[in-house]
Amino acid sequence: MNLTFPHRQTWLHRVNPAHKLMVSALLFVLVLFTHNLNVMILLTAAALLPLLFTGHPPLRLLLYASPFLLLFVSSASGMMMFGTGDTVWFRYGLIRISEESFYRGLHLGFRSLQVAAVGLTFALTTRPVALFYSLMQQLRLPARYAYSFLAAFNMLPLLAGEFLILRQSLQIRGRRPRGLKGYYERLRMYAIPLLAQCIRRAHRTAAAMEAKRFGSGSGVRTYYYRYSFTGADVWYAGYIVLSSVLAWQLGQIGPFTSAIDVR
Amino acid sequence: MTAAASPVAVMAERLRLKYPGEQSPLLFQGLNVTIRHGEKVLLLGPSGCGKSTLLQVLGGLAPAAIPIPLKADRLIVPERAGYVFQDPDAQFCMPYADEELAFALENRGVPQERMPAFIARCLEEAGLKLDDPHTPIATLSQGMKQRLAVASMLAVEPDTLLLDEPTALLDEEGTAQVWDALRRIWEGRTVIIVEHKIGLIADDMDRILLFAPDGSFEADAPPDVIFRDCRSQLQQYGIWYPGFWEDYAADRLEGHLPKLVAPGTAKTICSAGAELELAAGSAGIAGSTDMEQTQPTAPSAAAQQAQPQSADSGSAQLAAAAPAPLLELDGFAGLRGRAAKVRTGKLFVYPGDWIAVTGANGAGKSTLLLAIMRLVRSEGRLCLCGVPEQRLRKAKQAAEHAAYCFQNPEFQLVTDSVRDELDYSLPDTLQGEIRDAHVRQLMSRFRLNGLGSRHPYQLSMGQKRRLSVASAMARGQRLLLLDEPTFGLDAAGTAAMMEHLEELRRDGCAIVMITHDGELVRRFTTRHWLVEDGQVHAVPFTAATPSAASTTASLSFKGGLPE
Amino acid sequence: MSMSTASKRSKGLTLTDILVTIVISVVFGLIYKIWGPMYDLLKPLGLHAEQLSYGMWFMAGTFAFLLIRKPGAAILAEVSAAAIEAFLGGSWGISTLWYGLFQGLGAELFFALFLYRKAGPVVAVLASLGSATASIFIDRHYGYIDQLAFWNYALFISMRLLGSLVIAGLFAWALARALERTGVVNLLRPASAKDYDALGN
Repeated sequence: MNLTFPHRQTWLHRVNPAHKLMVSALLFVLVLFTHNLNVMILLTAAALLPLLFTGHPPLRLLLYASPFLLLFVSSASGMMMFGTGDTVWFRYGLIRISEESFYRGLHLGFRSLQVAAVGLTFALTTRPVALFYSLMQQLRLPARYAYSFLAAFNMLPLLAGEFLILRQSLQIRGRRPRGLKGYYERLRMYAIPLLAQCIRRAHRTAAAMEAKRFGSGSGVRTYYYRYSFTGADVWYAGYIVLSSVLAWQLGQIGPFTSAIDVR
Repeated sequence: MTAAASPVAVMAERLRLKYPGEQSPLLFQGLNVTIRHGEKVLLLGPSGCGKSTLLQVLGGLAPAAIPIPLKADRLIVPERAGYVFQDPDAQFCMPYADEELAFALENRGVPQERMPAFIARCLEEAGLKLDDPHTPIATLSQGMKQRLAVASMLAVEPDTLLLDEPTALLDEEGTAQVWDALRRIWEGRTVIIVEHKIGLIADDMDRILLFAPDGSFEADAPPDVIFRDCRSQLQQYGIWYPGFWEDYAADRLEGHLPKLVAPGTAKTICSAGAELELAAGSAGIAGSTDMEQTQPTAPSAAAQQAQPQSADSGSAQLAAAAPAPLLELDGFAGLRGRAAKVRTGKLFVYPGDWIAVTGANGAGKSTLLLAIMRLVRSEGRLCLCGVPEQRLRKAKQAAEHAAYCFQNPEFQLVTDSVRDELDYSLPDTLQGEIRDAHVRQLMSRFRLNGLGSRHPYQLSMGQKRRLSVASAMARGQRLLLLDEPTFGLDAAGTAAMMEHLEELRRDGCAIVMITHDGELVRRFTTRHWLVEDGQVHAVPFTAATPSAASTTASLSFKGGLPE
Repeated sequence: MSMSTASKRSKGLTLTDILVTIVISVVFGLIYKIWGPMYDLLKPLGLHAEQLSYGMWFMAGTFAFLLIRKPGAAILAEVSAAAIEAFLGGSWGISTLWYGLFQGLGAELFFALFLYRKAGPVVAVLASLGSATASIFIDRHYGYIDQLAFWNYALFISMRLLGSLVIAGLFAWALARALERTGVVNLLRPASAKDYDALGN
């Protein structure tokens, strides 16, 4: 996604991609074990802040972040209305909003925001090629998987083009089956031509890769790009650790709400 | 020839080969091939005889990297084989040109610091001039992509070049450039080529190996001998050779080829449908149990009796009727986004017209056709069979009057069998036996008999095309819009497709066809639209026109194979 | 000398298998990305109608196995589809990688249980339920779903199971069969001993 539009390269781009991926994935585990709403809000703020340093202009960032509100509402509302809790605030039919369920809902909303912000920061500052080279070099990902991923990425625009042609052709055919069967039929009409084409193309690409001695090379792989750890990694790791520790410590004192444990 | 003394580069003794799967037949049953170092060899044969697979075996790619059931008494493969394949969109695994070349270098363990110089050299040798090697591959033209494929083949420093239809999907310009690049680098290397479009390279070959459909050798000789002595086989297998279209035209005059048009079928599908209803009605009186037996033969028999006259009188009839135009355009423009991609002046299409739409890649040919089908937005006047654009809001409405065939027929085929596909396309108003009769009528009309239960994807390319035309025209449309209908067809398939379209034209249909093939424009179509700088020009159509028109002049060197 | 042993008949994933699996996942990743906002729109109702469509996210795994029929295909497909979705800026970010991993494992378990030999509707449905169970396991920690009112919790789980059974189980199986009928899948079938016998001596 970051490939599509030109943007400024920032220090976040220089962070080792494998490092960035690992940290982003671990942040999710941290979120899983965060049950304190205050901590969660602070963690979310800490996750939103780096978005400003992705090198993308603010308007575009707002566009990317536009689903965040919906995401927040969609994550929060179900739990707010139907969660368990003793201090009931509001009741209407099946809906039963209690203090506990309200805060738990909020907590879920912030969780979604945090996860989305971390993901967007990663996507906006990481080139797939860099990620997979770094995964091969730093985490010993087998080359077969790494280059297959990259080859598959190349097929995305072709796929999108074929999808448009397919839609035009189905427009001409002009039938819209309904119901569960119709749902499957529509899925099938799109999926079969796309998948068939993809399988053929993947088969050919695999042959072309083998023809360039992918599997039968000298055994020692060299790399066009080398990735290692730089100062940016220290900054990044430092920011994440510091902000997380701060969030946990401050959150215990609770600047925002009285809800300590939403469970 | 000096090559005879050279050491053996490639050899297979008693090679047996098949595709995996129980039903698939043997491709080769005891093939013996010897190719000496430095020889330039062309493998020629009918579609599907296994040439491409053989190329993978001879280069050592199969079965080592591509598992395929294979046995041989002896197999010598080159030490360093380099491949270029057919599909420009399925050769690369990296997003940028330099990264793709680096991929090949990485596989060989070339040190990182030597890579940039190596990459620059490969690009230069392949004749691909890029301002910056770090250029997205997606922004390259198809022809440039194939030269990038040549460059990345050079990155493995091959002693043997194996070229699997490297120009099959390119336009004329790209084709010429790719062969120029290859010719510059193949000196001193062994070259084995599979290709159908051989006009530009046949003379460079030392030997041509001609295969029969069963994978056996038909001949192994220098090109001039093959083209002199094996013409009948080449013709029979549908392989293009220098002079194919001349021979084709001569044979048609002499009546050697199967007679083109059975005049009995020379009726529009609309009237054929009316007849069907009559036939079905009478069958209904005779008794419903017999209907299944009587139906298949009834329509064609009725049609034969209805029009015993020759095709010539058929077209005379059309002329006498002074028909209304099937398509009118006036100040019409197809839009991409808000900008007009292609504009027309006043243009009419009448029954019996066969219009070639030519122009450079990206000139707006497809946009024009898509705009007529209401698949992209347009402005200006459009009238389809008397229906103005105000009443053609949706593609579905336009599709009632005009049939459209995409370049890739697979994207148009949505069901599991040929019969279902045709049935799916018919209007809902047809029911029961009449509907079945219509399906059978379409199958015989488009030469799909016996394929009713076959999956559309399992048809040959030519059959797929015919099925897509058949299903597009199933509602009785008389205007047919085609986007490169001969794309991916061999010479025989191309000729057959053209004959079929000619049949439809004589039936009173009008055909508007995008093509890049000057031979087809010259030999088959009746009118010519040239799309240039976003403007459609009606080219005055005389016998001399095709060679006079700027874009088609460059086409005439080749033998009329589709790209 | 006979060359019949030249071909590697390994049971592992070949480059073609890997590439096809990942490309299939790209198709599904794209569908997931389009699917996501729809799911978000349904979700605020709180009545879990959206859970019926959740099965879509398990489809890559079962579908890829039904085509490739080798160990690891289901996990690889789920993880790659998740990775593609994350890379396209999907709103669940990097967390999808965890979901993908667990859901793939859930499906893989059932394929392994049948020693990777069965690829019928029953095993497809079981695998889809395996994926669903794995996803529910994460969601219990992530979404506190066990803290929902009991009826709502039960609705949530049954809707998700039902959705995955239909979409990732039955639809995936039907789709795989439809694709097999096109003949394209033959490209992926390895050479068998019978093939070599057919070549004679």
